Amino acid sequence: MLLFAASTALAQYYSGEHTFDGENKNEVSASLTTGKNIIAGPCIGNTLHFKHYLNSHWSIDGGANLRYTKQLYSFKAKGEYHLKIKSFHMFASAEYLFNHYHMFNTNENVGNMSVRFERGYWDITLGGSLIGYNMMGDHYTEPITLTFGAHATLRPRTNKWNLGLLFRNYDDFYYENWNINWGLDFYWRFNPKFKLFGEFNIRPAGSMSQLASKYETTGKIGVIYRWK
Amino acid sequence: MEIIMKKSISYSLIIGVLAITSAMFSSCEKVSPQGVLMGNTSVDDRVKQSLTNYSYIDVSMDKTLADTVKEYSFLVGSDSHITIDPGRLSEMLEVGMAHDDLFYCHLGDLADTKAEYYYNTGMALEWFKEKWMEKYATPVTDEATGEEMNYYIDKRTGAADTWQNFRVPFYPVVGNHDITHNGWALFCNLFKTSFYEFTVKVGNAFDRFIFLDSANGTLGNFQIEEIDNGVFQRDKKDIRNTFVFTHTNIFRPSYTEFASTYCREELYYLLDKLADWKTTIMFCGHVHAWDDRMFGGVRHITMPSMNFVDHPNGGDLIVRVTVKGDHECDVQPVGLYCKERSKEELNQLGYKTTTNSNDY
Repeated sequence: MLLFAASTALAQYYSGEHTFDGENKNEVSASLTTGKNIIAGPCIGNTLHFKHYLNSHWSIDGGANLRYTKQLYSFKAKGEYHLKIKSFHMFASAEYLFNHYHMFNTNENVGNMSVRFERGYWDITLGGSLIGYNMMGDHYTEPITLTFGAHATLRPRTNKWNLGLLFRNYDDFYYENWNINWGLDFYWRFNPKFKLFGEFNIRPAGSMSQLASKYETTGKIGVIYRWK
Repeated sequence: MEIIMKKSISYSLIIGVLAITSAMFSSCEKVSPQGVLMGNTSVDDRVKQSLTNYSYIDVSMDKTLADTVKEYSFLVGSDSHITIDPGRLSEMLEVGMAHDDLFYCHLGDLADTKAEYYYNTGMALEWFKEKWMEKYATPVTDEATGEEMNYYIDKRTGAADTWQNFRVPFYPVVGNHDITHNGWALFCNLFKTSFYEFTVKVGNAFDRFIFLDSANGTLGNFQIEEIDNGVFQRDKKDIRNTFVFTHTNIFRPSYTEFASTYCREELYYLLDKLADWKTTIMFCGHVHAWDDRMFGGVRHITMPSMNFVDHPNGGDLIVRVTVKGDHECDVQPVGLYCKERSKEELNQLGYKTTTNSNDY
């Protein structure tokens, strides 16, 4: 069965370059994240991603995440299908994500399927997540929850640099229910093979008073390298 | 032609954005959409205010049962969303008094965000206080003059205070509908605090009752710090049972109800903390649906709403918990069946209600 889902976690990484360029089939990115949240306090961590384009339609990727002070360890795998429909690019993907929250001895398994539509200056994502967790000898799988996201950029995606605003209920290594992640992101392609990227995220807590209840603030900076 | 098409798409997007924005910043009776973005208070504000104005412990809420009493019961209801008629809340209190339940807990969304509805709620509680005092409070008599003093003793727990300060045993938590439209000021005026605990002493053991503020869908930084600093570990008493009450649900009864709004780590933190407290039962509301499950050795009960809109003909909308021993509790559904009454009908029955916020 064809699993459709959107490029979600890597959306900001590959702004303007979500498609196979006909030459470079591999991409690797490394980033450093630091910030603070109300449960774990200050946190710092690394993220590593690898993406391989099978052809102009299909790609696969995997990633790992280590958040040291948060004691959060994650990995994920994703398959993505790309289709150009007139002036839109559609990306459908299926993803499996595993998180180990060591502080609470909790293992979380997430399956996500979603679709992203992308044009020159914006993209939107819609999908569903199935989130299950094991802790204290018990297991709970939450009923399927909506995945949503929107991202707009100042310049077209083909530009050498860009600034963007984002609004979504997921990030590279988590999928939430209602909790929204507001962010500001950027990239600078200083070389055909290298790109610097970064992101500043604010996650308000809960559902009411988005400006009043802070949950987490993080900053991320990284580099993407592409090769044949 | 293509340019015209592009322009029309752009205009449609702009109109759509403007429509959503104007909807967010306009006001409606049920919820305050701008509260989603700005809110009137944060959970940190409320918990700080609760601790400053009140302290999380009010020893007058602690109850010591007579040595002969081996078990007791209390009622739990949720999401009454009171408007004109506070009938379901009054019925809950009457049902409890008829059964001699020791106290009453409410899981938030007490009234529907307007000042006049809190006035009606306050009136219902005042009415209940008179009935409750008549049944359970004994006035102290001046030994010299033989006259009754303005000082009363709870026959069952020994708590004593003046009429004005006597607190009837109704213990609510704050819900999301209680904080929009300046609701917190109204809630706070009636109940003073959103973060508190008390104990019930049975023989040599204590049962602990913890009330958490999750009206914003989060416990918030300050409340978590207070919990981590051991605010609920006072005196290291011999705690037999712990019961926790909060508004926002942890578990989602089905995909048609709202999912939990705790962020992932906060959710795991809370589940871990409940197990750490050796919680007997955790009660939540918010989603207006029943759910009962064990997780991590803790019984989690999510309560249905008791309001007229969801249940015009009533039903088993609240529960009675009978505490019999160490983690020995009976949870039985209790029916509420009163129908919604108009303002005129209530006035004829002698209730003071209002639809005018100036009365408040």
